[in-house]
Amino acid sequence: MPNTMEVIGPDAKEARARTIAQRIALGAWRSIEFRIGLFVFTTMVLLSIFWPMVSAIDPMKINIGAKLTPPVLFGENWTWTHPLGTDQLGRDMLMRCFVGLRYSLFIGLATVMIMLAVGCLVGLWAGYRGGLTDTILMRITDAQLSIPMIILAIAILGVSRPTIPAIILVLGLSGWPVYARVMRSVVMAERKREFVRGATILGASDLRIMFLLLLPLCLPPIAFVAVLDVARMIIFESVLGFLGLGVQPPTPTFGNIIADGRKYLVNAWWIATVPGIFLFLTLASLNLMGAALERSRNRVYGGKA
Amino acid sequence: MTREDVTVENTLLEVRHLTVAAGLGRSAPQVLTDINFSLAPSSIMGVIGGSGAGKSVLAKAIVNWLESPLTVTKGEVLFEGHDILTMSDRQTRLLRGKAIAYVGGNPGGALDPTMTVGAQIVEKLRSVESGVSFAEARKRVVDLLDAVRIPSSAQRFHEYPFQYSGGMMQRAMIVDALISNPRLIVADSITQPLDVTVGAQILKLLHELKNEFSTAILFVSNSLPTVADVADQVIVLEDGRIVEQQPTSRLISSPQSAQTCQLIAELPTLWEHDTRSRLKPASDDARPIMSVRNVSRHYVLPSSSVLGFGPKRILQAVRNVDFDIYEGENFGIVGESGCGKSTLTRLLTALEPPDTGQITFEGEDILGRGRAGTRAFRRRMQLVLQDPYNSLPPRNSIGSIIAEPLVIHGLAFGKELRARVLDVMSEVGLAADLYEELPMVLTAGQRQRVNVGRALILEPRLMLMDETLSALGQTEQGQLLDLFEKLQAQHGLTYLYISHDIAMVRRVCARVAVMYLGEVVELADNETLFFQPGHPYSRALLSAAPTLETRRYRAEDCLLDGEPPSPINLPTGCAFASRCPHAFDRCRIESPRLQTRFGLNQAACHLLDIKATVKDEVSV
Amino acid sequence: MFLVNFLIRRLAQGAVIVLLVSFLIFTLLRVVPGDPVRLIVGGMAPDALVEQIAEEMGLRDPIPVQFFRYMSGVVQGDMGQSFIRPASGAAVGGASFDDNTRSERANVLDLIADTAPYTLQLAVLAMVFALVIALPIGIYGGLKPGKWPDRFALYIGSLLISLPNFWLGIVLALVVSVNLGWLPAIGYQGFSYTILPAIVLAVEIAPFLIRTLTVSVAQNMGESYISVAAIRGISHRRIVMAHALKNSSVPLLNLLGVQFSMLLGGVLVVEFIFDYPGLGLLTINAVLQRDFPLIQGIAIVTSAAFVMINIVVDLIATTIDPRLDY
Repeated sequence: MPNTMEVIGPDAKEARARTIAQRIALGAWRSIEFRIGLFVFTTMVLLSIFWPMVSAIDPMKINIGAKLTPPVLFGENWTWTHPLGTDQLGRDMLMRCFVGLRYSLFIGLATVMIMLAVGCLVGLWAGYRGGLTDTILMRITDAQLSIPMIILAIAILGVSRPTIPAIILVLGLSGWPVYARVMRSVVMAERKREFVRGATILGASDLRIMFLLLLPLCLPPIAFVAVLDVARMIIFESVLGFLGLGVQPPTPTFGNIIADGRKYLVNAWWIATVPGIFLFLTLASLNLMGAALERSRNRVYGGKA
Repeated sequence: MTREDVTVENTLLEVRHLTVAAGLGRSAPQVLTDINFSLAPSSIMGVIGGSGAGKSVLAKAIVNWLESPLTVTKGEVLFEGHDILTMSDRQTRLLRGKAIAYVGGNPGGALDPTMTVGAQIVEKLRSVESGVSFAEARKRVVDLLDAVRIPSSAQRFHEYPFQYSGGMMQRAMIVDALISNPRLIVADSITQPLDVTVGAQILKLLHELKNEFSTAILFVSNSLPTVADVADQVIVLEDGRIVEQQPTSRLISSPQSAQTCQLIAELPTLWEHDTRSRLKPASDDARPIMSVRNVSRHYVLPSSSVLGFGPKRILQAVRNVDFDIYEGENFGIVGESGCGKSTLTRLLTALEPPDTGQITFEGEDILGRGRAGTRAFRRRMQLVLQDPYNSLPPRNSIGSIIAEPLVIHGLAFGKELRARVLDVMSEVGLAADLYEELPMVLTAGQRQRVNVGRALILEPRLMLMDETLSALGQTEQGQLLDLFEKLQAQHGLTYLYISHDIAMVRRVCARVAVMYLGEVVELADNETLFFQPGHPYSRALLSAAPTLETRRYRAEDCLLDGEPPSPINLPTGCAFASRCPHAFDRCRIESPRLQTRFGLNQAACHLLDIKATVKDEVSV
Repeated sequence: MFLVNFLIRRLAQGAVIVLLVSFLIFTLLRVVPGDPVRLIVGGMAPDALVEQIAEEMGLRDPIPVQFFRYMSGVVQGDMGQSFIRPASGAAVGGASFDDNTRSERANVLDLIADTAPYTLQLAVLAMVFALVIALPIGIYGGLKPGKWPDRFALYIGSLLISLPNFWLGIVLALVVSVNLGWLPAIGYQGFSYTILPAIVLAVEIAPFLIRTLTVSVAQNMGESYISVAAIRGISHRRIVMAHALKNSSVPLLNLLGVQFSMLLGGVLVVEFIFDYPGLGLLTINAVLQRDFPLIQGIAIVTSAAFVMINIVVDLIATTIDPRLDY
């Protein structure tokens, strides 16, 4: 077809020099759910970092005398010293939750970064090169996708010692295929654009085009939505902890706290329930932010490429 | 389809004081102001205007299809006496699709891609006309598909939209509009997305249908010659107002308003003899800067049979192309979609190797030069891209975009780099303070200047203009062409223009190659091509070129039927034989090669061998 | 013609994938530290006996040889025998190396065939629940983008996805089963035991369905052919049902295919919590007990199932949208 492009330029009223990344971020900021999520999340992160430093209570200190104290306002003999109660060994629940949150956040973030790095590089390479490289890389991606994450994680961690680096590695490696797929389709679409052809004709090398031209363009939208995956990885890590394959006790993580608490479900329901609420709040705030970012990205791309 | 036996009212459509704004409130920008006109039954009214004049908004307002923020703030649209804008939903539904139909300028996006074309037209028919059985509806649709000259209509009925070409889809949409026998059709830029010969066919179709169906048509377009071809009366819109309304012939012969005069003046003149210097072919002793010898390229498509065995499908993109480009000249390659221009561009810029033949630049083959050699080649031959909105990386500043070629080739750094970029910017007419800006603040014309600057900064010898001006309006085109001329004089450049716009080629190119289905069917200098074309396709192309002047070649004699055959698994013989009005036996067996007619002019047609058989319609 | 071509191609690719996956798991299990033979004969057995049994079981041969032997068995329908579980159906194997009941080991295929139906029932019920939740919310949200149905969909989706499945299971078991006594929770003695686990699973997958639906429906409603259809005279109801929803079902189908993989992960945890005798519980126990053949067998079965589901999904997708080229 002859050139049928409508000659409508980008909205001149749009504020100048806004990159796509900035537009996505701004669009998300405008929605109220993003702000709620951000507020809650930042609060929890800050608390989890600073509270244990400030408070005198040791999360691992066993205090049999105070064992099985219910949270504030519930049951009998609750106390303000342990606002969320204590567990079966008298350890303070609030502190344990915060410490657990630290680990969850750390593992979640580290995992997603690995997933992004590996997945996007593979996707970039496959999408740009096409042909045989693409086919091979995509088959590997497919094969990895057909092994459910959890089976892989259990298989590897169940037979070897679950240290933190191992956990991060396993989680990260099991999640990269999705990013590879997404990155690949984005790169394939962008590769056909005029300015890529122009760059080749100018004499730019493949590496230059991939890393200086395509990567900065394709990465931000994907990276923003990775926020959702941080939440997903935190859940995943907790599941592993619950099954006994995560970070080992006595280090408190949500998974093993809840797993322990199962035994005391009927008498001391808070041991299993309260950490879950904590986790839920964190995840909900992350998911709200992530959903808002995703909406914003769809809007930016849906309007004009 | 006969004229309905009902008292025909005098006015079918009457628009009174129609005013449309973009938003509510007093400060909302006005898109249409006080539009008044009326349309009689079975007549055709044309609406023209530049881009942004409000034509499309008017077309949509008439069918009450304005999407927010556009709102009608005043006025009425009376269809057979009733105001469309204030009708209830139920009444509107009864009108839409039945009495009033709309055909738009985006045929590819008009139907659901997951349902067959036939089924969707049947769906529409059964939605607007009660009591029509499936069988009866199907028959009516197939008959109408036939009437609009869609070949194998019964088979096409069961095909999906993606299997239809643009021109065919537009015909199908016309069928969709006519199937319910509407009294008014709003045709909004229906030929704009199509190739020029295909668009001409649609216009011819409209003429024929006008007699068979008694429908009034509101024909909106941005091309005055197209409108003049079809309409009885013409309205000229500018800035949302009607500036002139006259019967067509009087509008052209004695335009009243300044805008109309300017519109007419800006139209390219094809048929006047032109002796500007840029149209002169290069002198006899000029050397070829680029030579293309017998170049072909095909692509193998995956076979559709089991496990990939069976006959492969071969797409012949470029076949036996042969020409020279001389130093200092303006060479043009013209052709419609599917002719192989894009593939040829990729071959000429060494993005892909040809399957046969050789391309040499400055005496050396462009392939096989090694990395350093290819880089050097890229310095001396550059490409200016076509799409102003996609050809600039959106996140880089203009200065860095223009500087990039120098950076890639390692030719300059730091202060010197900046100085050279600023130099080039002033040469191509970009203000120096645009250096730090991002492309999104520029107009289309300015973006193309950035493209030119980017190519120019390497100081090439040959510049390839790939549809560089296609996206621009006439005035901007003119400005850029002047710039090119200036640069050519200063730097001794040679230009290769690739375009589908024959009017632009007429303005600029000294020698022209016409491509059809991957071949060069004619190679002639400007005057010869336009006044003594040697190939029937060239003639057809020229007859379809929109112009207000009296056509040199009449559409009835030269115009083609049907669509070009698929480039996959081409039949033997001349590729043009299936559509040529003068084809004979030899044409279907043997493929003609380019032969010299006189001077440097060549054409590939068997008719040339037959002396005095074809009366040259051009005896001037 | 197309169908045959498609099936052959995809089945061949699927076989390759299954093969690759099995080889991966196979190798993985044998290279990680920890000797399975120890587990079988117990920690007290003398080294010489360990080595002898290992030789007999062929566990000291090079990995490709073992793999080949194994796969030839599989092709004939024999997935080997569990290392741990006896055929008598007792829960876990004995610990002493001179236990005579060791000679009879349960067939891996039997073990899988016994538990698979339970998991299937659970998965289907969960999918039904998830669709019941997700379809109305997602579609309505997509039809009114930016308005409250859409925001509601976003909030519900985010909330549901933030509920960790194991925690939800525990809480539901506590509240619904122990405190209120409405539904049973642990084990399996009838269909009602499937309901609570299915709810937990449904909560896990519904958010993704909701999200895909809202995005896809909203996107399709914004396509030009939808607004043109209104002008052509087609009723709004027909536009939504016959066009927008139909086009939206393709991404949904794709998602369902991917969800199966997710479902498997969730099933593991849910069955573990509710002690539901399905494939998930079997897997967890197999891994924790280092029961190689069982793990292997489950891996093959699940990846084969995954491949089949994807083939079916792609096939249905091509009938809906003829442009797709699988």
